[in-house]
Parts: sequence; C-alpha cells; structure tokens
Amino acid sequence: MVNPQFIHLKVKRRSNPTAAPYWEEFKVPYQPNMNVVSVLMEIRKNPINAKGEKVDPVVWECNCLEEVCGACTMLINGVPRQSCSALTDKLLEQYGENNVITLEPLTKFPVIRDLMIDRQLMFDNLKKVKAWVPVDGSWAIGRGPRLADKVHQWAYPISRCMTCGCCMEACPNVNSKSKFIGPAAVAQVRLFNAHPIGAMHKDMRLEQLVKKGGIQECGNAQNCKRVCPKNINLTAHLAAMNRQTNGYGFRQFLMGDK
Amino acid sequence: MNREGDRVLSNKNNSNFMIRRLHSLIAVIPVGIFVCVHMLLNSSVFISGNESYLALINFMKTAPFVVILEVVVIAIPIIFHGLYGIYIVYLAKNNALKYTYYRNWAFYLQRITALIVLVFLIWHVWVLRLSTHEPQLVINTLAGLLHNPVTFALYIIGVVASMYHFANGLFTFCITWGICVGDRSQKVFATVAGAFFVLISLFAIAILVKISIMPLA
Repeated sequence: MVNPQFIHLKVKRRSNPTAAPYWEEFKVPYQPNMNVVSVLMEIRKNPINAKGEKVDPVVWECNCLEEVCGACTMLINGVPRQSCSALTDKLLEQYGENNVITLEPLTKFPVIRDLMIDRQLMFDNLKKVKAWVPVDGSWAIGRGPRLADKVHQWAYPISRCMTCGCCMEACPNVNSKSKFIGPAAVAQVRLFNAHPIGAMHKDMRLEQLVKKGGIQECGNAQNCKRVCPKNINLTAHLAAMNRQTNGYGFRQFLMGDK
Repeated sequence: MNREGDRVLSNKNNSNFMIRRLHSLIAVIPVGIFVCVHMLLNSSVFISGNESYLALINFMKTAPFVVILEVVVIAIPIIFHGLYGIYIVYLAKNNALKYTYYRNWAFYLQRITALIVLVFLIWHVWVLRLSTHEPQLVINTLAGLLHNPVTFALYIIGVVASMYHFANGLFTFCITWGICVGDRSQKVFATVAGAFFVLISLFAIAILVKISIMPLA
C-alpha cells in the first residue's frame, strides 16, 4: 500500500516553441487515486515549484479523460502514454514510492509550450490518405453493404486509433532526418480499404501511401505495436498494407499511363 | 524551430517507393541466393580439402560469361544494396536502449551488421578477388589469413554479421512483401529465421575452422 506524503514530479518545460527546454520539479500533496492529469490540475491550482517559488502553471492538453481522445499524450517516465490513464498509485507501485515521476512532451512533434504539442501533421496525413468512407452526394444512396463479421473482427480495433502519436514517438524511423509519416495513417488505410464503399477509393489511398514518407520507410522495428495504448496490431496492418501497396505499385508500373 | 511539421505526404511525385522495394528484393534475389551458393561451394573443403575446392573453382571459371555474371548478378546488386543501405542506416534514429523490445534490438543490429558487412565485403573482395585471382593463390591467401588469429577473428565477425543480416533480412523481407502478415505467421517465421541464422552461422564457422586447421601449402 503506497502512502507517501508527496507526489514528486519532474517536468520538462519550455515557455514557447523556440525557447530552450528546462526541468522543473514539483511536490504535490499525495491523495489516493490520482492520475497525472489531476496532479497537473493541483499544480494549476497552486503553481509553486519544489523550491517554493511561484511559477507559471504547467501547460498541457487534455480532453476526454478516458483514454479515447489522445490529447493528453506525453512521455511519463520515458514511456509515451496518456496522462489521464496514468494512475499515480500504479506509477508509484511500479517505479517505487520514492520515484520522481518525469513528464516530458513527445519528442517527434513541435512543442507549443511545456507538455503541449502540435499533432496537426497526423491529422493532415489522415486527410491525405482519405481516412473516411465518402457517402456525401446529391441524393440519398441508401444503406451500404455490411462488413462480414470476420472482417469486422480485425477491422474494428483499427477504428479505436485516437491519433495520439505514441506509435510515431517510439518509431526509430520517425525522426528529423526522415519523412516517414508513421504507422497510424497506414493502419487507417487498411480499415477504410476493407469497407465495401470505402474500397471504391482504394487506389487513391494507396497512391498516397507510396508517396515520399510513405509505407516504404517502415523498418520493422515493431515498437509501434508495443506502445500502442489501444493494442492495435500495427505491425500486422503494416504488413497487410505492404501487400496492398506492392500490388498497387506493380499494377501502376505495368498498366498505368503515368 | 522543430522541422517535424513537414512530415506530411507531399503532392510531388518524387517517391522512393520503388527504390526501397528494389533494395529489399535484390537482397534476396540474387544476393541471398548467391550467398547460399557461395557457402555451398566453400563447404567443398570438407570433401578433400584444397583439392576439391580448387577443382570446383577451376570448373566454375570455365563457365561462359562468368565475368559478366559476376558483375550483373553479384557486384551491381550488392553495390546498390550497400550504397542505398548506408542511406537507410543514416535515416534511423535508434532507440534500442529506450525501447528495449526484441524486435527493436533486431532492427538496431540489422543496421550495425550492415556496416560491418560493408567493411568486411570490401576487404574480402579486394583481397580474394580483385588483388589476387589465380585460384591456387586465392586459397593460399585465404589459408594464410585464417591461420593468423587476428584475421581469423575478423573473418568470424564478418561472416557471422553477414549471416545475421541475411537471416533477419529474410524475416523483414517477408513483412515488406506482405507474406507474413498475422501474429502467428510472424512468430513462426521469426523462429525459422532465428534457427536459420544459427545453422548457417555454424556451417560458415565450420568452413573457416576447417580451412584454418588445414596445413598451409
């Protein structure tokens, strides 16, 4: 049973996107059943650092508080995860009561301030790969065909992706030297290409995936699958999309007119 | 300012997709096949030492277009794979100490062995193909290298690194070409590739040891 006096936090802060980062420590009075979000809320109420100085409250993002939106993703003790589902009692149990909980912003995205990052590029890539089923038209086209239950079994988990960025954070091939867009958008293409109506735009999505920064940059380190908070089998989806994009690439090469 | 913002699929048509796929394909066909044949021919030293090996090499030399085949089937694919491979090694920002998963280490080792193999191959080809050429001389040079403990150790490192790069590369090849998709097939094939690495490494080490204990000419 953990019962420390304080929750000791060490936060990597930055006052604006171009400022140099620095570490700041906080001691928040312990309460049972806290999560990292509620600890940060305590700091917001009383923004005093461990040295007793009054500082700007730590900036971070959160929204759903039930691990479905991805907004509060950060590195907690070096692990990319959501701070809403990071329960402090569990962290103290796992790392020891005297452990300092470190919070850092994700390193593969532009930092706006403190723990707040800009994941816009992930949403831009979802737009590029047309991660939706187009049904809007001038008249009602009625109900579409249903997915077979067997397809549904593997396709549904992909729809749990919340574009949180953990997979990109852990991927060694996503870095400032490469253009790799990461696994999340690739998996979405598998989902929407499996849908009977979505499949009508299959090639448009595949065309995006073979662009610069596309699926070919995957190096099979398979960290993505390990860190995905939604347990999406990203490595299987990458392999399946390798098959689809290879087929597309050869079809284009042999039959295309480009 | 962070440059991550440009990590968005571009509208330009300058993709390296085909080059990456070619890089993966030629590593197995023909380079992987060549490596297997190479090892098989080397293992002729188990039959009657130098003589059977020399007989085989002399026979190979009589094959038509052998130089053209060496250049087109062996040299060009290896050079392309090696040069583009350096770029791929450069592209990764390895994090195996932070994410200590088995596959992440395999990914890191694939890149380390890539560089070892590159250096080893330049040495190997220079010493045993480009600077010497006459079969008897080649085997004498090799036997000399393998009788020296330092160069023997370097050879073991180079050969085992090559076999790791080959075996792990076969596994990732199966993912890159969408052959192993599901968890079970990836698990089974990872085991197969691991066993292949152990067996082919032992086979290669046995050949090197055999040559190192044969009397010098």
